[in-house]
Amino acid sequence: MATLAGVFAASHMPPIVFRWNRVDQARRDEVTAAYTEWGRRVAAARADVLVIVSPDHFVNFFLDNLPSVCIGIGEAHGAPPETWLKDLPYTTFPGHPPFAEHLAAQALAAGFEPSLSRRLTLDHGFVLPFFKAGLPALPGRTIVPFILNTVEPPYPNFQRCLAWGELIAQAIASWPGPERVAVVATGGLSHSIGEVTMGAVDPEFDHGVLERMGAPDDAALLAFMDRTIDRAGNGAQETRNWLVARGAAGRARFESLYYRAIPEWYTGLGLAQWHPG
Amino acid sequence: MRDYWLNKLFYDLTRSSLGAAYKAEREPVLDRYPLKPEVRRALVEDDLDFIARAGLANPYLLRYYFQLLGYDDEAVMAKLHAAAAPPEGV
Repeated sequence: MATLAGVFAASHMPPIVFRWNRVDQARRDEVTAAYTEWGRRVAAARADVLVIVSPDHFVNFFLDNLPSVCIGIGEAHGAPPETWLKDLPYTTFPGHPPFAEHLAAQALAAGFEPSLSRRLTLDHGFVLPFFKAGLPALPGRTIVPFILNTVEPPYPNFQRCLAWGELIAQAIASWPGPERVAVVATGGLSHSIGEVTMGAVDPEFDHGVLERMGAPDDAALLAFMDRTIDRAGNGAQETRNWLVARGAAGRARFESLYYRAIPEWYTGLGLAQWHPG
Repeated sequence: MRDYWLNKLFYDLTRSSLGAAYKAEREPVLDRYPLKPEVRRALVEDDLDFIARAGLANPYLLRYYFQLLGYDDEAVMAKLHAAAAPPEGV
C-alpha cells in the first residue's frame, strides 16, 4: 500500500520571479526563507510521486477544449515554455503511468470523468514554488500532473474539489506499490490578472481562507469562499486547488507557514502544509 | 460573454511566429479570423478598454496580448483600470 507522504500548498505567481527585484531586500529575504522552509518540508516527505494540482495557463488547452480536470498519465511531461523560467534547474519531468492510471481508474469507478493526457507540457504552476524554494532537483522522483480548470469559468465546484482530494487519498491508499505520494496544490491566494481589477490584493479573503482552511468542518470554509472568492480576483480561483489538497489531507491539521499581501507582486502569497496522521 | 475568435487570435499570437507578423502589420493577420467588426476595430485602434470592459477576452489571454504588444504590467494595469472607470461625462 502506498503512503500519503505529505500535503502542501503554495502560491505560484510569476511576478515572484520576473518582478523579484521590485520588493526590497528585507522582503526578498523573508520570502526566500519562507519558500526555503516550505521546500525543505516537501523534500523531507521523500516522495516517489508528486501529485501536483495546478491550472493549465493555456499551455495545453484552449477554449475549444477545456477540461475541468485532466490527469497526466504519461511517461514524461514537457518542460515549462515560459521564457522567464530559463534558469529553471529541472530538465526532465518523469511521470508515473502506473499510479496515474490507477488514479484515473479509481476516479472513473467512483463516477468522476477526468480527461487524461499521455503528454502534458507543464507550466509555471507546476514548478515555480520548488524553484523559489531553491531546490536543486524536484522533490519527488516522478510527477503526476493534476490540472484543475481555474482559468476560465465555469469552474469545478468547491465540493467537487474536496471530493477529488478525497479520491486522490483513496487512490494512494489502494495502490499496492510501496510508493510515497505527496500532494502539492499550487496557486492563489488573492490576485487579479488581466481584469480591470488587476493589481488588487484582498487580504481579508486570504486571511479568511487561511483561518478556515484548518477548521474541522467544511461548511464555514466553503460558505466563506462562496461569498468572497469572486471579489478576490480571478487568480483567487486557484484556491480551489487548495481544497483538493484539503480533501486529500482528510481535513488534517493545517499549518499556515507564511502569508503576506505583496502589492509589488500583486498577490496574496501563501505557503502551507497539512499534517495527515 | 467571450468572443471565441478574439480569444483564438490571442492564443495563436502567443504560440507561434504569428506574433511577430502581427506586430509588423496587423491587418493581414486579422484577415485570417472571422472577427466581428467592432472587435476588429478595437484591435486596430488599440481600444482594449472596450475589450476588457465587455469581458470579451479571457483575462489571462488578454494579458498575454498586452505583453506581446510590449506593455509592461504597470502599463497593462493602467489600461485596465482606465477601462474600469466610467466614461467621461457620466
